[in-house]
Amino acid sequence: METNGVITYNKAMVKDRCPQPHAIVAPLCQTTNKSVPTTTPVNEFVVAGILMALTTGFCLLIVSFIGYQAVALVYLLLVVALAIRFSRGPALTLAASSAVLWNFLFVPPHHTLYINDFHDGMMFLTFFVVAITIGHLTTRLRRNEMGEREREQRTAALYELARQAAFATDLDSGLKAAVGLIEPIFSAKVGLLLRQKDHTLSSMPHAASSFTPSEKEKRAAAWAFNHRLPAGRFTDAMPDSEALHVPLQGRTAVMGVLSLCPRAEKSLDPTERDLLEAFAVLIGLVLEKEHVIEALKHAEILEASEHLRRALLESVSHELKTPLSAVQAGIDALARQTDGNERRQSILREVQLAVRRLHRVINNLLNMTRIESGVIQPGLDWCDVGEIVHAAIELAGESVGDHQVIIEVDQTLPMVKVDQPLLEQCLCNLLLNSAANSPPATKITIRARVQEERLVLSVLDEGKGIRKEDLTRIFEVFYRGADASPGGTGLGLAIVDGFVRAHGGSVRAANRETGGAEFVITIPVETFRTELREASP
Amino acid sequence: MSETATALVIDDERQIRKLLRIVLEEDHYRVLESESGRQGLSDIALRRPDVVLLDLGLPDMDGLAVLKRLREWSHVPVLILSVKDGPEDKVAALDGGADDYVTKPFESAELLARLRAIQRRAASVSEEPFFRAGSLEIDFNARAVTVKGREVKLTPTEYALLKILAQHAGRVVTHKHLLREVWGPNAEEQSQYLRVYMTHLRKKIEATDSREKFLRTESGIGYRLVGAKQ
Repeated sequence: METNGVITYNKAMVKDRCPQPHAIVAPLCQTTNKSVPTTTPVNEFVVAGILMALTTGFCLLIVSFIGYQAVALVYLLLVVALAIRFSRGPALTLAASSAVLWNFLFVPPHHTLYINDFHDGMMFLTFFVVAITIGHLTTRLRRNEMGEREREQRTAALYELARQAAFATDLDSGLKAAVGLIEPIFSAKVGLLLRQKDHTLSSMPHAASSFTPSEKEKRAAAWAFNHRLPAGRFTDAMPDSEALHVPLQGRTAVMGVLSLCPRAEKSLDPTERDLLEAFAVLIGLVLEKEHVIEALKHAEILEASEHLRRALLESVSHELKTPLSAVQAGIDALARQTDGNERRQSILREVQLAVRRLHRVINNLLNMTRIESGVIQPGLDWCDVGEIVHAAIELAGESVGDHQVIIEVDQTLPMVKVDQPLLEQCLCNLLLNSAANSPPATKITIRARVQEERLVLSVLDEGKGIRKEDLTRIFEVFYRGADASPGGTGLGLAIVDGFVRAHGGSVRAANRETGGAEFVITIPVETFRTELREASP
Repeated sequence: MSETATALVIDDERQIRKLLRIVLEEDHYRVLESESGRQGLSDIALRRPDVVLLDLGLPDMDGLAVLKRLREWSHVPVLILSVKDGPEDKVAALDGGADDYVTKPFESAELLARLRAIQRRAASVSEEPFFRAGSLEIDFNARAVTVKGREVKLTPTEYALLKILAQHAGRVVTHKHLLREVWGPNAEEQSQYLRVYMTHLRKKIEATDSREKFLRTESGIGYRLVGAKQ
């Protein structure tokens, strides 16, 4: 019940926040509808004709009372009234035809265009000029006013879009509001194709879209997306398209395409195009902002989960190694107290060997876990290759046993930038592997060279080599070849693979022509070569 | 070194404290125990141990924080004893004022050798004019270095590096420390030069035919001069 309560509360919150923008959109849409002329000039001509006929009939009735000259004033009144509402064409036609009609019907001699009286001629001429001028001026006034109103509406619409973008609770409702805003202004259907995660344009229109672009329209949209330029109708690129496609340009990237499919056969005037582009930029910025927020959230989650994995590893490591430390310290303490007793000494030596082995297994398991949970980040620093090789041999210690380790490292190798501890561990593991899989007293060769900004480290042994079917699988976790020597965990080589991969390199196994196995690590490295000129004292 | 040195073990694991006590007492240390960072700090202040063994994973405060507090007023030699084996953990502790670092599980002989090395630092800040480690001899007055009685010619930089390592014989010296001391405070990022000179130095004093190694690489951390008489 408690959770239900929370959900209801959330809904209430959403409801609370939503009406504000919508309340503003609704009246805006209504005024927008009004501003678009509902009567075309053809309709206006018809209406003008009807009004003219009515007025003429009315004048014929009252002409005997007011005189034919006053009738001109009635016509003038009609011209003014219609010019305010109608566009220029019908208004001017009405002005001219009312002058002619007045002359034809009311000025004697009746039913001719001929004017006898000089005064009447003057009157007709003045009437004609005044009617035309009034018609002209009034329509111009009206047009200015309409332009002003339209500009105001566009500014309001832009402001509204920005406002909704800022206050929208989520992206989808914001886009929906944007589409709802754009549709009536351009009296067009609106489609939105957004950028996908892989930075390509989605082929599925966003849910807020009011039309689904055809394949052809999608191609035009893709062109606009790729070229960062408008495409489709009214443009030079694919002008035979039905819709106009405008890229949603953010600050750094195109976040999608806005497709506008006009309902009527109308074209866009320059101010409308400017407005459309302003809308596109605004939506692009909103999408980009959303994208950045998403990326930030994702990075935060990733960081948190990595932090958690590290903490877990640390705690496991602590729990395993603390008792092992106690055992080790116990063995050491006992060893000091059993000076003379050979039997006890030999038991302790065996326990000591077992502890070392356990220590190694624990380290291997922890390293493998680190690799698999992706928390290994090589700390690159300048290293001397010879130093790495020597340190690796030291690390392998007694386990290399009676093998003869031969180092073939060119003295003139440059310094390389690698993670020395990781690489030492790799070499050490390869050494241990070779030592375990080749007969005692045979040679193990470590070779190092640097070529074309790549460090190549090889370990070669004189053992029985690797079976063909094991060559590719030998680096898999817990994989052990059928003839592998006993005692291994199947982790040593997998760790080598993991560490080398963390360096962006690769490791492979092969059989030598002369018998024995060969392991080759290749890592791309930065190199540094210097001639140090310093006088000896 | 005094007859019975006092060692303070700061570790929250009772078992480890108990076994360390046995190991240390075998080696004639008087042993004190603290089970938390706060208690450890007050024990150091009140009981003045000669050497401190500090665990990094303490329940009440981070080991590094204990070290930082401690270094504000005390120069007592500190050996870090921790399960954390990453180079970055070690470098952080050493840069934070620890004298050396031993990872758990440790072998007692190694631990005792490290303890002796860091106590020696406290006893003498290398006032002695001679240094000897196996067949390596350094005469600080004459700036002369000999291996097996044969003089080795070192450049001033190589000599400066060797001298610092000798003064810290048996103890790890971090890359940062060496760079700062030899090349100055602004050279801490120039690690490639350090590597080059260390390689040269090693070639000169560790003859290839000899199995005697003086310079041990603490990978990712620094270098340690080994073989000095404890």
